[in-house]
Amino acid sequence: MGQVTGGLERSAKELIRLKESLFWTIAWPSIWVLLSGAIFVKGIPEDVLPVVKGSMTVPMMVFALMIAGMSNLPATVSTDRERGTLAKLMSMPASPWRDFLGRVLGLLCFSALAVVLVGLVGYATGARFRLSAAEVLLALGFLLVGFTASAGIGSVIASLVKNVQGAIMTGVGLSVITAAISGVMAPYSALPASLQSFARIYPISSVNSAIIYVLFGEEYSGYTPLTVAQVASTVATSIGILAVGIILYTKIAWRRR
Amino acid sequence: MNAIHIEGLRKSYGREEVLRGVNLDVREGEFYALMGPNGSGKTTLLSILASTLLPSSGTIEIYGRKPQQARELVGYVPQSNFTIPNLTGRENLIYFASVLGYSRSESARLADDLLEKVGLSADAKKRVSAYSGGMRKRLEAATALFPGIKVMLLDEPTTGLDPSARRMFLGLLQDLKGEATSILLVTHLGSDAEIASKVGLIDGGRMIAQGEPEELRALSGLRNVISIETAAKSQRAVEALKPFSENGRVLETDVGYRVYSRDQEKATPEIVRALDRAGARVVKVESATPSLEDVFFKMTGRSVSGSV
Repeated sequence: MGQVTGGLERSAKELIRLKESLFWTIAWPSIWVLLSGAIFVKGIPEDVLPVVKGSMTVPMMVFALMIAGMSNLPATVSTDRERGTLAKLMSMPASPWRDFLGRVLGLLCFSALAVVLVGLVGYATGARFRLSAAEVLLALGFLLVGFTASAGIGSVIASLVKNVQGAIMTGVGLSVITAAISGVMAPYSALPASLQSFARIYPISSVNSAIIYVLFGEEYSGYTPLTVAQVASTVATSIGILAVGIILYTKIAWRRR
Repeated sequence: MNAIHIEGLRKSYGREEVLRGVNLDVREGEFYALMGPNGSGKTTLLSILASTLLPSSGTIEIYGRKPQQARELVGYVPQSNFTIPNLTGRENLIYFASVLGYSRSESARLADDLLEKVGLSADAKKRVSAYSGGMRKRLEAATALFPGIKVMLLDEPTTGLDPSARRMFLGLLQDLKGEATSILLVTHLGSDAEIASKVGLIDGGRMIAQGEPEELRALSGLRNVISIETAAKSQRAVEALKPFSENGRVLETDVGYRVYSRDQEKATPEIVRALDRAGARVVKVESATPSLEDVFFKMTGRSVSGSV
C-alpha cells in the first residue's frame, strides 16, 4: 500500500467526512451558482442564457479548487500539528515528501468531486458548456494547473500558520480576496486596469479565464488568455508555487527543533 | 541488552535548560516508568527519544542507534489524541500501517489483529469521534504495537481517563509486560508508575532516583503514612498537620492530606484533635503503605501532581 496511497485514502476520506470542508468547498460555491443564476441574469436573452450561466458556473468551479487547496489543505495540516498526528508521523519511518504527496493526491480527489458537483449544480440550473473532447481535455488541464497553484499556496499557509483557526481563516480570506480582485468572482472586463494586470499574472484567475475562453469564447473571458506567453507563465508560476510549498512543508512543518 | 541508553542528556529552549544531564537505561523487555511533576522534562525526554525533538547534547541510543535511525523500532504514543476522528478505528490503524510500509492486505490484517489485542474489535467500524477517551487511548496504544516495534513510548496515557477506563488501560499495559516490547511510560501519577518494574523520579530536568518501586520506598526511608480524608481542605488544616509530619511536610491529595509520622499510634488521635481545632471535619483517617507519590514528595519536598 505504502505511505502515499495510505495518505491519499486517509486525506480523501477525512475531507469527504468533514462538514466544514463539504460546506466551504462544495455547498458554498454551489449556493453562489444558484444565486448568480437567479439574480444576475435579468434582461439576458433566452438564447444566450445557458452560455451566460455556464460562464458564471466555471468561476465557482475554480473557486471550489481555491478553497480546497488554500483552506482545506492548511486546515488538515495544522489540525494534524495541533492534535499530535504530525508528531506521531515524525516518530515513524515516514517520509515528509510521501506524506505531502499522499495529502495532495487525496485533496485532488476531493477537489475533483467538488468541481464536478458544482458543475452539476450549474447544469441543473440551466448552464450549458461547449463540450467537445478537445475542449474538455484542455479545460481539465487548466483545472489541474489551477489545483497545482491552489495546493502550492495552501502548502505555504500550512507551513507558516501554525494554529488551525489561523490556517483556515488565512486560506478562506486569501481565496475570497484574490478571487474578488482577480476576475474569478467578478467579470475581467469590470476590473480596473491594475487589477486586470494582476488577473493575468495570478495563475488561478488566468486558469479561470483560460477555461472560460476555451468553453465560451473571448466575449466571456474578456481577453485572450490562450497565448503562449500567458499559458507558459501560468503553468510555470503554478509549479513554482507548489515547489515552494513542498519545500516549506518538508522543511518547516516537519522540522525537528 | 539495553533497549534505551541515555547518558548526559541536555536540552535547552533558548536560555532555559529543561533537561540537565539525564542518565537512564531501559533494558530489553523492561517496563520503565518515569515519574515527575509537570515541567520536570519528562515529555521533552520522550519527544527526543521519539525523534520529534533534537537534544542539545548527550548520548541517546535505541538499540545502539540514534533515535532518527531507529524510528522503525519505536512506537510513540503522544499525550494528545493523535488519531484521526473522522476515520474509523480500523481505518486509523490501516493508515498508520501504510506509513510503516505495509501493503493494503497486510495493513488490514494487522489492523484487525491489533484491534482484537486492545479489545476494540466490536468497535472497529465506528468513527473515532464516537469513541470514549479510554477506547481512543487503547487505539492509540495499538499504533505502537505493530510488528517490529521494540520500544513503546507512552506519554501520560491515562490523563483524562475515568477510573474504569484507566484501570482497563493499565491492565492492557500489564498484559504487554514481559513481552519483547520495552515500555517507557512517563507519568505524574504514582499509581500508574506502580505497575512498572523500574521507576525513575525526575524533577527540574534531573533524575532524582531510580530503581524498583520497593527499592525507592526503602531509599526514601518511609515506612508508614497517615492518610487523612477531610470534608474540605484549608491552609489552617495544613498548618495544624505540620507538627506531626517529618520535616514538617504535608502532602495534599485530592481528598485530603498525607502525613509522614514515625509514631502513628500516638499521632493519629492527636491529628484528629488538631484538625478539629483547625475547623477541618475529618471523614477518615487510616494507615497507608507509602506510595510512589509519597516517595517523590519525601525526596523532593514537592508534590508530583503539583497539588501542594
